[in-house]
Amino acid sequence: MTDLAELCLAAVEAAAGDESVEAFAESSRRTEVEALRGEVEGLTFAESRGVGVRLIVGGRLGYSYAADPSLDEVRAAVAQARENAALATPDEFNVLPQSASAEPMPSLYREEQAAMGTDEKVALALQLEKRCVGTDPRVTKVDLAQVGDAVSRVAIASTTGLSAEYARTDSWVVAVTLAVEGEETQTGFSYAIARELGELGWEQIADEAVRRSVAMLGATKPASEKVPIVMDPFAGTTFLGVLSAALSAEAVLKGRSLFAGKVGEVIGSELFTLVDDGRVLEGPGACPVDDEGVPSARTELFTRGRLNGYLHNTYTATRMGGDARSTGNGQRGGYRGAPGVGTTNFFLQNGSTPLAELYRKAEGGVLIMDVSGAHSGANPISGQFSVGATGMRIRDGALAEPLREMTIASTLPEMLAGVTGVGDDLRYFSSTGTPSVLFGEMTVAGV
Amino acid sequence: MLERELVEEVLIAARRRGGSFAELFVEEKSSTSIRLDDGKVEELTTGLDRGAGVRVAHGTSYGYAFSNRLDREALLQAAEAASAALASGSAAGTVLDLREMTLPAVIAAERPAAAVAASTKVDWLKEVDAAARSFSPEVSQVVGVYGDSLQRVLIATSDGRWVQESRPRIRLVAQVIASRDGNIQTGFEGPAANSGVEFIDANPPRETALTAARRAVTMLDSVPAPAGEMAVVLGPGCGGVLFHEAVGHPLEADAVDKEASVYRDRMGQTLASPLVTGVDDATIPNAWGSFTYDDEGAPSQRTVLFDAGVLTGWLYDRLRAEKDGVPSSGNGRRQSYAHPPVPRMTNTYILNGTSSAADVLASTATGVYVSAMGGGQVNPATGDFVFGVAEGFLIENGVLGAPVRGANLIGRAIAVMEAVDAVADDFDTWEGVCGKDGQSAPVGSGSPTLRISHMTVGGTGD
Repeated sequence: MTDLAELCLAAVEAAAGDESVEAFAESSRRTEVEALRGEVEGLTFAESRGVGVRLIVGGRLGYSYAADPSLDEVRAAVAQARENAALATPDEFNVLPQSASAEPMPSLYREEQAAMGTDEKVALALQLEKRCVGTDPRVTKVDLAQVGDAVSRVAIASTTGLSAEYARTDSWVVAVTLAVEGEETQTGFSYAIARELGELGWEQIADEAVRRSVAMLGATKPASEKVPIVMDPFAGTTFLGVLSAALSAEAVLKGRSLFAGKVGEVIGSELFTLVDDGRVLEGPGACPVDDEGVPSARTELFTRGRLNGYLHNTYTATRMGGDARSTGNGQRGGYRGAPGVGTTNFFLQNGSTPLAELYRKAEGGVLIMDVSGAHSGANPISGQFSVGATGMRIRDGALAEPLREMTIASTLPEMLAGVTGVGDDLRYFSSTGTPSVLFGEMTVAGV
Repeated sequence: MLERELVEEVLIAARRRGGSFAELFVEEKSSTSIRLDDGKVEELTTGLDRGAGVRVAHGTSYGYAFSNRLDREALLQAAEAASAALASGSAAGTVLDLREMTLPAVIAAERPAAAVAASTKVDWLKEVDAAARSFSPEVSQVVGVYGDSLQRVLIATSDGRWVQESRPRIRLVAQVIASRDGNIQTGFEGPAANSGVEFIDANPPRETALTAARRAVTMLDSVPAPAGEMAVVLGPGCGGVLFHEAVGHPLEADAVDKEASVYRDRMGQTLASPLVTGVDDATIPNAWGSFTYDDEGAPSQRTVLFDAGVLTGWLYDRLRAEKDGVPSSGNGRRQSYAHPPVPRMTNTYILNGTSSAADVLASTATGVYVSAMGGGQVNPATGDFVFGVAEGFLIENGVLGAPVRGANLIGRAIAVMEAVDAVADDFDTWEGVCGKDGQSAPVGSGSPTLRISHMTVGGTGD
């Protein structure tokens, strides 16, 4: 099989005189095991590779891709990208990044994980399900008990002389348990991701899913009122996704961000410091270079509430001009598309307030444990949001009865300004992370 | 796409360790996508995907392996990997003679998109940009996205099924942003179908753009949505999205099998207002969620889910249908060869009632009227669901008042369907993309205007 770097090189060599060509090649091997009722419910093996070609000529951009291509098919993709470019509008800011040396991150790839046999993953999935249904009499079923891993390689090369390559392993466990009491069923979710399964602490994931499902039994709908809110990391991470969309320089440049023109302004409370850092090794989003080969970096987007800037790829930095530089946030959803702007490890900086103290300060309020409908209910352009939520009442400094069928609603600026406490329990989900956060007041709608 | 002999060889290899059946899904898909943003044709992308997935089933367990190579070696490797997933090897299973199924096609392109010049498609997006900007000086940004694809599939199974189908998909989306004094609002419209470019003639880009622009500009005048329980009138098409989320997902047989559905053990019970009759129907010609065969090779069909409020049907894939000893309802779908099939919806509709939409609104004293949806989410086990309101209005004394922003509707499936107290006769559809188990699928929703006597609206206002 042709290696990825060779495929990229074939594309770069197919560039005509005045063309800039970049090739992004990716291969991955992924295994997923799901266990149900003490047996393997599903076992999926996936192997895929592909190459995407970005071609720029006279400021016009064309893109083409091919799955598992031969060298000739890569050359054909370049020709197709050339044809596509002819129809695009010229844009002087369409440029490819220059070559720059990136500090390698060899620890992203774990030989032990790459070599792990299927049997071991199957055994772990069975153990995970067994533990989910074995610790509380009200939890005898799972909706999902999954163990998975992926071994991926990326190669990027371009006519600017840029050339980068790296490998990574990822592994994860997911548990969704069902707690039943009488006629009522509640679900509990937990998830962890790490470079290798040996580092995951899967037992805690099973136990946490059980705890979270049992805690919701007997939940009722609260009255509509304005109350203090504590958001746990499960719920908080949803909002980081909305924030990252609004902090993309692409959204800013195109008039699709409420943060446009606000650099230097104090928007959040002084407890609010928000960071993107592709070089934090323990973060799932770590990478030596972004998806156009630019070295990853640390970007502090908000420092003590003040907006410092935006997330950039090469295009947005070039177009914004001045002292804007790519922040190493050129991201793509795979070889099928050109890079947009995305996050690496995107997290709210850990605070120092213990959870018990956050609860004490939120007397009479609500702990939000899960948020639903953010893809339609939270708008990164206008900043408004109204989302479904489940959680628990906070009373006498502790968690009291569970609550469901409520919404929480506010705007992003009000939310950021309303941060009155940040916990010391930073946790990553996928590549976003947040500790528990206390908000002074938010509208809860129920009865 | 593949020789019969090779397909048979792969199926035989997949049944080496037995199991209840083996299946090969082969796909070739060519796609075009064009994005106009910020007044510029930013990107024109074309691509070719191909690959094959082999599934070996054993009861409701399965092994699945896929490759994006279609040569003999890769296919046999996938067959071996999928069959190795069976816990205990048993005697090899049989493979029956493959018989081609030839049902009349539910979907077809009169004028295939591949035969239309890319420059014509670019012009459609330029029309979107120009029309949206002409609507109002307050329109500040326009995104137009055009996409077409042709997916050719071959599905062959060890019990002798051989099915081929071509699925031409086409969609044109307009997203418009309107701004006034720092207030930014958005509007969206995105008609879609399984069709050729005749669909664009029937749904001119200009109209799509104007609808999105009108929504964005309307929302500039909006007041914060109220918070609390009230009457909600869902305009034509909008009730279908609620039905899809709240009712459709918990009726999917995998949720039922895992006892993670609020409807489990309740077939035949009255669990909705008698005004509610709802179906899932993949046989509607050229609709966005239609197909001739599902992704397991079962013929598409119309399944009545609720008949005058009585629960009458589950949405089955093959694994769960075999477990329950019933035929599949033709709801086994997958995003691509890279995904094992799961039971899911196609076109999910609440059918027309007998009220007039004008009467439904006029007889509502106060509440919220929803004229465009923003998608939603459900927990099938509890029935708790939420969905966003993209365009909505206050109802005051039976007439529409100010537009509202930041509204979300939340409720429980059974309670909300029981609270439907009026269903009109002005059925319309809404096309969306549904996500489940990490797979996305084109789905249609539809309904006439209907009213829910009380449900929770989650805004910030009074």
